[in-house]
Amino acid sequence: MAVTPEFKRELLATIPSLRAFAVSLTQNSDKADDLVQETLVKAWDKHESFQMGTNLKAWLFTILRNEFYSQMRKRGREIQDSEGIMTERLAVHPSQHGKLDLADFRGALEQLPEDQREAIILIGASGFSYEEAAEICNCAVGTIKSRVSRARTRLQDILQITGEADYGPDAISSQVMGSNAA
Amino acid sequence: MKSMKDSLALGASTPRAKGSADPLGVNSEIGRKLKQYYDELVSDDVPDRFAQLLSQLEAAETTRKGD
Repeated sequence: MAVTPEFKRELLATIPSLRAFAVSLTQNSDKADDLVQETLVKAWDKHESFQMGTNLKAWLFTILRNEFYSQMRKRGREIQDSEGIMTERLAVHPSQHGKLDLADFRGALEQLPEDQREAIILIGASGFSYEEAAEICNCAVGTIKSRVSRARTRLQDILQITGEADYGPDAISSQVMGSNAA
Repeated sequence: MKSMKDSLALGASTPRAKGSADPLGVNSEIGRKLKQYYDELVSDDVPDRFAQLLSQLEAAETTRKGD
């Protein structure tokens, strides 16, 4: 079965999001674009396995993410273990009145292990639900929740944001049916 | 823990109520920055190579069908 015009159109429409996610993962715009290219080729080749009407964006994000990790493995790079790094934290001082510079934020994000970075991006920026993010990352919903929570805490630490760091377990579990489903 | 200066800086007039419901929402500095970071990436101009790539894939498919 040939690729339909709708599929192609939606593919095109998703490219900006795919690039944003790819940059978030690779932290490098050239690598990100190569990753997006691979993703588009793969998506085209296996378009028959996609069910029209289901979430194309999530499907494409899954392909892109798998491609990213398989490339990392090929390069022989160990995937960072979220518990094992960051013994040394670089503190970034908010420029003034606690207002963060975007460059500072980018620097802080770079310091997160991949699994935490992708989780907080998927939930906090790409607009996926915890369930969708879990599917994209091929893990349990609870795992996504804990990664997001650790990512947030770590970003607050690095950026020295106080005052929003003390959410207890209740706050975390209240995210379950959060407002990110849209 | 939470000084008045911090509250002002974060614009947190309703300290915890909203933040707890959505820790990455607009009331959270992290949530706001995250969206700003990502939105900037999303609004970046898309290079032509991607549209060209899809056209090439489409052309290849048409050729194959014609065989």
